[in-house]
Amino acid sequence: MLKSFSEDRPFIDITKVTKVYPPDIIALQNVSLSVDLGEILFLTGMSGAGKTTLLKLICCMETPNKGLIDVGGYDLSKISASQIQSLRQQIGVVYQDFKILPRQTVFQNIAMPMEVCFTNVKDIRKRVDQLLESIKLTHKRDTVAGKLSRGEQQRVAIARAASNSPALILADEPTGNLDAEISEEIMKLFTELNAAGSTVIIATHDESIYRNTEHRRIELEHGLFSRQTQKKQLSLTGLMS
Amino acid sequence: MSRQTYFFLKQTARNLKQSWGTQLLTLMTVSLSVLIFSFFLLVYINMINASERLGDELRLIIYLDHEVIPEMQPRIRKKISDFAEVEKIVFISKSEAFHRLKEQLGGEQDVLDDLGADFLPPSIEIYPRRNLHNLTQIKEFSDYLATLPGAQKVQFGQSWVERFGYFTELMRVIVMLSGILLILATVFMVSASIRLTVVAKEAELEILRLVGATNTYIQTPLLIEGLLQGIFGSSLGLVLLYSIFLWTKMHLHGPGLFSVLTLQFFPVSTTVMIIATAILLCTGGSFASIRKYMRI
Repeated sequence: MLKSFSEDRPFIDITKVTKVYPPDIIALQNVSLSVDLGEILFLTGMSGAGKTTLLKLICCMETPNKGLIDVGGYDLSKISASQIQSLRQQIGVVYQDFKILPRQTVFQNIAMPMEVCFTNVKDIRKRVDQLLESIKLTHKRDTVAGKLSRGEQQRVAIARAASNSPALILADEPTGNLDAEISEEIMKLFTELNAAGSTVIIATHDESIYRNTEHRRIELEHGLFSRQTQKKQLSLTGLMS
Repeated sequence: MSRQTYFFLKQTARNLKQSWGTQLLTLMTVSLSVLIFSFFLLVYINMINASERLGDELRLIIYLDHEVIPEMQPRIRKKISDFAEVEKIVFISKSEAFHRLKEQLGGEQDVLDDLGADFLPPSIEIYPRRNLHNLTQIKEFSDYLATLPGAQKVQFGQSWVERFGYFTELMRVIVMLSGILLILATVFMVSASIRLTVVAKEAELEILRLVGATNTYIQTPLLIEGLLQGIFGSSLGLVLLYSIFLWTKMHLHGPGLFSVLTLQFFPVSTTVMIIATAILLCTGGSFASIRKYMRI
């Protein structure tokens, strides 16, 4: 849990956020959103709808042109460099391009977030082995990541995001390269992580992974929220009329 | 060992493994720079030592027109002592000079048979104190002695002392230049090596930042790399120098010039100083590179 977070407010609070990439590509326009602690949220929409941008804004990889973002009690417009480091240690991100280190082993890739936090070596081994079992890659523990298939690399990326038992997991197309069976396993892993206390936001256009869930889903279109299906009523602005 | 130290060392080992070729090249450059610098420094120090020993044996000889009568000797002694502090002043009469020469000739004494015992000029030998080692001072003293009544010529092995003085001066300049070379080569090579590491690890550093690695976590292994380059590079350079020193001492020991040069290696304090300087330069180069090429 993030140190500065108080549970009586939304875990993520995005208020009238606009993000424009040069020269004038509007990725997000006047978007507001609240995410509660422990929630699983699906962000859906076509490519270029703004899903990835929204995730990047939440994990401080990008800064908005307008609006406010509050994550776990941190106002991202006023956050210091050391606070960004502290916040990132508690956010696990599954990147669309995986960002796997091809020359390092599967073990080293998954262990990285824990090493950064100086976690006990025994705990690291235990946690990595546990995650490898979940993603069914135990036999590839010491294989160099560059030799894995794209599907396997994606699973390693997911395990790395989950390794630190983060307060927040952001997943950008986590099942993009996986077959149905593995996708189901991955969703099970996200559900387990959520049950263990992580808030999970999944950006996807894979309908199969959210079709039968009761979790909230927000659809983005051209930088605006176009539609929502929700488990519970939340205030949403920026909806297309 | 603390957990942080363990991870820093682990990360350093990983970096070294990934870029061992560059690391080896940097290590060789640091070693060579230290070797060149410390070689000239060693030669210079040994020359200074030798010049001190020569200084102990330095004497100025005034050749005179005629012998100094004993009553005059105290006055001349005073005149000499007033100009510079002297250890000893010896008046040599014609006959004493002749006997000395005879002794020096040993078995060849018969060459002097046809010469009279008074064919050599009388002289005064002056042994200056150790504070009179500077060539300019010696020259000034020599010029003064030449003005003494009856002085014909003053000798002190001027050309030899001059040559030695110039050579020592040249060595001093070389030591300074090689010192600059050491600084430039070490800082440049370590900085370039860290830069290559940073470039090669760009993807990894980006991911490390994204998973929340602190600046300390990212920078410390790179600084340790610089530190290790300094320790091992300078140690290797000094070990090579010591081997050269031992070889020289073993093979060039004997009469002639080398009897004057009693070769000595650096004292421990100087050795430690060289290693510490190399470490400082390498870590500094590493730090400069981190500041310049890393987006922290």
